[in-house]
Amino acid sequence: MKLHLKNIALLSAVLGASLACAGSVRAQPASPAPDNGTFDVEQLFAGTCGFCHSNGGRAAGKGPQLMNSPRDDDFLRDRIKNGKEGAMPGFDGAFTDAQIEQMIKYIRALKPREG
Amino acid sequence: MKKHLGYLSLPVAVAIGATLAASSAFAQTVDTARIEAAGQNDWLTYHGSYKSHHYSPLAQINTSNVGNLGVAWMHIPGRSTRGVQSMPLVADGVLYYTGSYSRTFALNGATGELIWHYFPELDEALIKRQTHSPYNRGVALGEGKVYVGTVDGRLIALDAKTGRVAWDTKLIDSQKLTVGFTGAPLYAKGLVIIGAQGGEWPGRGPIFAVEAATGKKKWEFLTVAPTEEAMKTWGGDSWRTGGGGGWMPGTYDSETNTILWGTANPAPLYDWSGADYKTQGARPGDNLYTSSVIGLDIDTGKLKFYHQELPHDAWDFDSSVGEFVMLERDGQKLVVHPNKGGFIFVYDRNLAVKNVWRLVQNINFVKDIDPKTGALIGRRDFTAGKVTDPPLCPFIGGGISWNAGSYSPKTGLYYKIGQEWCMTLDVQKTTPVTTPQAQLNIGADFKMAPPPGGEIYGHLDARDPVTGAKKWEVRYPEPPLGSVLSTAGNLVFVPDSRGTIHAYDAETGTELWNHNNGTGHQGGIVSYSVGGKQYIAVTAGFGGMLADEYGPNFGGIYKSMPRDDGMLVVFSLK
Repeated sequence: MKLHLKNIALLSAVLGASLACAGSVRAQPASPAPDNGTFDVEQLFAGTCGFCHSNGGRAAGKGPQLMNSPRDDDFLRDRIKNGKEGAMPGFDGAFTDAQIEQMIKYIRALKPREG
Repeated sequence: MKKHLGYLSLPVAVAIGATLAASSAFAQTVDTARIEAAGQNDWLTYHGSYKSHHYSPLAQINTSNVGNLGVAWMHIPGRSTRGVQSMPLVADGVLYYTGSYSRTFALNGATGELIWHYFPELDEALIKRQTHSPYNRGVALGEGKVYVGTVDGRLIALDAKTGRVAWDTKLIDSQKLTVGFTGAPLYAKGLVIIGAQGGEWPGRGPIFAVEAATGKKKWEFLTVAPTEEAMKTWGGDSWRTGGGGGWMPGTYDSETNTILWGTANPAPLYDWSGADYKTQGARPGDNLYTSSVIGLDIDTGKLKFYHQELPHDAWDFDSSVGEFVMLERDGQKLVVHPNKGGFIFVYDRNLAVKNVWRLVQNINFVKDIDPKTGALIGRRDFTAGKVTDPPLCPFIGGGISWNAGSYSPKTGLYYKIGQEWCMTLDVQKTTPVTTPQAQLNIGADFKMAPPPGGEIYGHLDARDPVTGAKKWEVRYPEPPLGSVLSTAGNLVFVPDSRGTIHAYDAETGTELWNHNNGTGHQGGIVSYSVGGKQYIAVTAGFGGMLADEYGPNFGGIYKSMPRDDGMLVVFSLK
């Protein structure tokens, strides 16, 4: 099943804002241009989070499975922001609070893939 | 500008004279000639010598008495986040090694007694934002100093006698890129060479040479598009964030005055280009000089020659892993270099391809590699979407991981770990990232999977290093992740992932001895001699980018295995 949140466009602000800690740089369009010039949370997950949370968060990898997580939103928010030493980097400053909320929505909406 | 506090963190020097069984300690300086000669009592550089054999000519411990091997001493480095991954070095009876956070120790090689320690003060806030951190894979020795890199982008020189900081040079803006140094440096010809992390980070992956005497940077080589010609192999502005790097030490060839180094993969790891990768996708083109072996003039850092093992690497099977094994065959001087994809490349000393052979059975990212030219045959380039049937083989952990194999000049065999595992993928059509950013750039969701029709396993092979002809093989239920050591005692030592170190007969593969260290291995193993007695030193302690996959995928003892613990264990005959 295609994720319903596919269209949660975080605009280029998502990765652009992730550069906040890198200084004043921001993402710029390049050739070849993306389809719609936007980023979405699924793409963001595959770019960064999916390195440790396997299958888009549906299975455990280096990090735990996120689909059906028993953790509450406060826990997820804190973990995304502050990380866990030796296990997960903190993304506070890389992502805005609004973007972190979108990630939590993505996690809550995770369903098994078809096929 | 941030002030480095490392200078304030002075080591504790303790009663050096009283602790040294090796009274001749520090009698000689370690220099290029000495590393080249590779005296049998020492282990002076990461790969053992510039020949990268990971072989000890010591034979006191041998096939007839290895059953009497027992623990001589142990050392606990503490704060071992993601285990202990370093390769110990030994000079004149003193053993040097590192733990996580670049904690550096000098120990009496006979007794384990502490001579000095150095704990650099690191940028802890930065480390909290890093993924591939805070482990460290070892030091370099030369000119009376010990050199260690840090995850916050510094290269530090310590006085080998006292551990006091001689110089501390900031080389990378780690705040901007979140990358630093985890690999060991290489000392050669008055320079200390160290490569940055890179790969999936959107940067340009530099390799640095720093003057050993002063700490002054001498040259810097960008592994991503350092020249106009190379820039043409990156479509659009993708070169600005191409990844690359060289996060494991290479070696030095004095005959050609060349540094040989393996480079990391391009970013994003996985590309949606499909077969038209030269013009389509996130980084159109061959992406020079990623996933390549390169020869740099040691004096200038200029590229002399190279071979790109995987043009447009779309699978994260880079060339950073692996040793540069130098040997001679039929009057030809050769270099053997493993690639993460599971192939072994054989080159001449100018990196011209002489042969390519498969160490690993489960490979399908290409159908084959031409053994005469090194050209990829039947590439498997993905478009956006699922990759499940068949899964991509090998797994992202590689058919070959970053730890080293061993070549025994005595048996003429190359002992190397192969890994049989695969992965499913969901490749994303990512929007190009064109400015360096602070986090990873992967480009796909993925999950470990068994090989089609088979099970995941690892194996130690004894092979002819040039032809790949196999003499024997030992299998393991999960791939071992530590380095391999062979010795003139006709022994091959393999520290495995479950925590057992094995000793095999180098000619037959028969297991002659084992010992359970109580936690998994994923670091170095060396042999040395002090006062006429031979020792085997191995690091133990699990955790990190690959080891962290073992618990959820293999269960069993990996579920409870610590990922923040570790030690150095040293063996000798009882």
